[in-house]
Amino acid sequence: MGLPSGTRNYTYAQDMAILRTRTHWALFIGFLVLLFGAPLYLSGYWLGVANLIGITLIAATGLNLLVGYCGQLSIGHAGFIAVGAYTTAIFTNRLELPFLVGLIGAGVVAGIVGLIFGIPSVRVKGFYLAITTIAAQFIIIWVINHWSSVTGGFVGIKVPYASIGPLVFRSESSQFYLIFTIAVICTFFAKNLARTRVGRAFIAVRDNDLAAEVMGINLFYYKLLAFFIGCFMAGIAGALLAHWVGFMNAEHFSLTESILYIGMIIIGGLGTTLGPILGVVVIRLLQQVLTIQLVPFLEESLPLPSGFATGVTPMLFGLAIILFLILEPRGLAHRWMLFKSAYRLWPFSY
Amino acid sequence: MKRKKILVLAVVCLALLLVVLPFASACAAKGPKPGQELKIGMMTPTTGPAAEKGSPMGHANLDAMEYVNTELGGAGGYPIKVLWYDSGYDAAKVATFVKRFIDEGALLFTVASSAEMSWAMELANRAEFPGLASFTAPSLYRPPKHIYGQMPDYGDDWTAFANYYMKNVWKGTGRPKMALELLNNPTGYGARDAAKAMADKLGIDIISTDEHTATTISEMDALTRIKAAKPDVLYISSTPKPTAVILKNARDLGLLTGTTIGLGHAGITKALVDIAGVDVVEGVYGVFPTVNWDDNVPGMAKMTEYVKKLHPNDYGNMDYITSWAQSLIVAEILKNAVKNVGYDKLAKGGVEAYQAIETQGIQKLNYDVAGLHGPAIYTQGDNRLSKSVRVFQIRKGVITPVTNWLEAPMIKYEDFPWFGK
Repeated sequence: MGLPSGTRNYTYAQDMAILRTRTHWALFIGFLVLLFGAPLYLSGYWLGVANLIGITLIAATGLNLLVGYCGQLSIGHAGFIAVGAYTTAIFTNRLELPFLVGLIGAGVVAGIVGLIFGIPSVRVKGFYLAITTIAAQFIIIWVINHWSSVTGGFVGIKVPYASIGPLVFRSESSQFYLIFTIAVICTFFAKNLARTRVGRAFIAVRDNDLAAEVMGINLFYYKLLAFFIGCFMAGIAGALLAHWVGFMNAEHFSLTESILYIGMIIIGGLGTTLGPILGVVVIRLLQQVLTIQLVPFLEESLPLPSGFATGVTPMLFGLAIILFLILEPRGLAHRWMLFKSAYRLWPFSY
Repeated sequence: MKRKKILVLAVVCLALLLVVLPFASACAAKGPKPGQELKIGMMTPTTGPAAEKGSPMGHANLDAMEYVNTELGGAGGYPIKVLWYDSGYDAAKVATFVKRFIDEGALLFTVASSAEMSWAMELANRAEFPGLASFTAPSLYRPPKHIYGQMPDYGDDWTAFANYYMKNVWKGTGRPKMALELLNNPTGYGARDAAKAMADKLGIDIISTDEHTATTISEMDALTRIKAAKPDVLYISSTPKPTAVILKNARDLGLLTGTTIGLGHAGITKALVDIAGVDVVEGVYGVFPTVNWDDNVPGMAKMTEYVKKLHPNDYGNMDYITSWAQSLIVAEILKNAVKNVGYDKLAKGGVEAYQAIETQGIQKLNYDVAGLHGPAIYTQGDNRLSKSVRVFQIRKGVITPVTNWLEAPMIKYEDFPWFGK
């Protein structure tokens, strides 16, 4: 499935290729040109929104590996992002280490913290695991707020611009290139990981962990590996967020954010590489468009009582999410697959 | 002959044109041309966990701007265009909105809360984009950069209340014991920093410091511990909803009897009285930097007229006064800047315009804010514009002033080794 009519795979390399046809390559290169040309046609604000989308995408991709592929429900993802953000803040601000050390350190430390909170996954699963990861969210934020000599506590901590050697990522567009280069790498990594032995083991654990264990899959190893990789990406996203905003306090990483991340990967489509991309873009744009575009439009064009349109925004946001879940419970990625299939078969119905 | 007449007529016409044209253009240059306006950015948490404060503050910001534009003719003759967004008390939104303001050519931006400004300040400081927050904490502008405080900060509240308490309320011997209940953001942290810096000097023992979240539903455990320590005074620096929770819990534990309660200015509003109930808040002290409703000050009549016309439910809410005053200050800043550097320089936007707003607008401020709060005057090295507060007490549900204006001295927090750590 997924290849145009008449296209056959005759070699292993062809069978494994992500981009199989010339059309695939053309579309992919066109997408990259469009993406990396964005600073040429987007304003500072929309570049800012794009940067936020890129950072969120990295974290959501990690969460998708953990929840979508390996089936380990985590509702503490914002906590792990916070670990990454504070690690890079401490490394680059307090210890004055280079950005790259902060970035990698953020991923590693968040991954290790994820391992610690992932240990209960060996004994509990489903809602019970969700509760233990909520605990991670609260414990991490508590530590950040109270270990003030290191983290700056409730006041927060400043984070310098990201820099590699003499190259300082000051402007929104330079930060865009940094963030999206890493986002593309993470997405490519996730896409490939899902096709490896590790990815298949994740899926086996998700679908039936007892059967997976009987087949010889080491549950302890693979569940913790999923936690490490998921939280590593969360840490990388946190580091980029910290350098982008320039100042961190724990209020950036609320439980609401963690739940929103779950919402993003569900709306996008669990267990697909495309899912987090679609989910993140839809949710982040919805947040911005409702506030920036819809509220002023409603207030100017309709005789509504003052403040009414603002109050309607959270309701519309909730309604949009509910409609997505009712109309396409398998996520936007599934809808995209259906569209592609229909397009390839058109004008035939099957 | 006819030709000569035509020639003379032409010369006269030309001469007239030469005289009239510069005069006409000089006259025309005095007023704004169509489309000329001064853009500013404003955001308030109209939805989300701080909506009980953000909603009236947003109304007041916009109502006051309508007043400025329709009745005062804008700032320096130029209409003020407000880009207003609901921040939802969300850090990610605040960050993108600051960029939006810069993108749209706003000359400065305002926020309501210290938390919002803490999320915005580094982005603004990096861009040298001036920002003004209604409610502030020392961490936002110590050391001073491009962020300004409209009023004294949460640290000043604590100092003013502690001074008042020691002079007028404390009748015991020795040093009174004070417990702190603080919101886990700059609202609470500002008070904590002031207590750390000044408590010993004022002769007060801080016996406990507890924190709570903006969404807390019970503080029973913290208050049980506090009660066991037998404090003489409990100081709460928080927003109305959590303050109401704490006061109700304190009442249930019997802590309201025999313990003086003091509140920072984020908490003592009409919303608190409405949420907690008149009986719970009776006798509670609080510090607030604006006048009360119906006080006899020059700006009261116009503000009351607008609130009754546009948002009658906000009448009596002191947060409305705060943000109304904030908009007046913004208009005054723009007026100063237009007067000192001219519209064209501001219209160019960018860092030069921001610098003009700061050096020729904000730093030239000497404005009485229509008497609605202490005068907004910039002092070198102190980014608080107004420095005056009053102590209030809630009596039969009415927030009643018990002091005149008290000047809040500047505390150089950055000189303390613990500040910001």
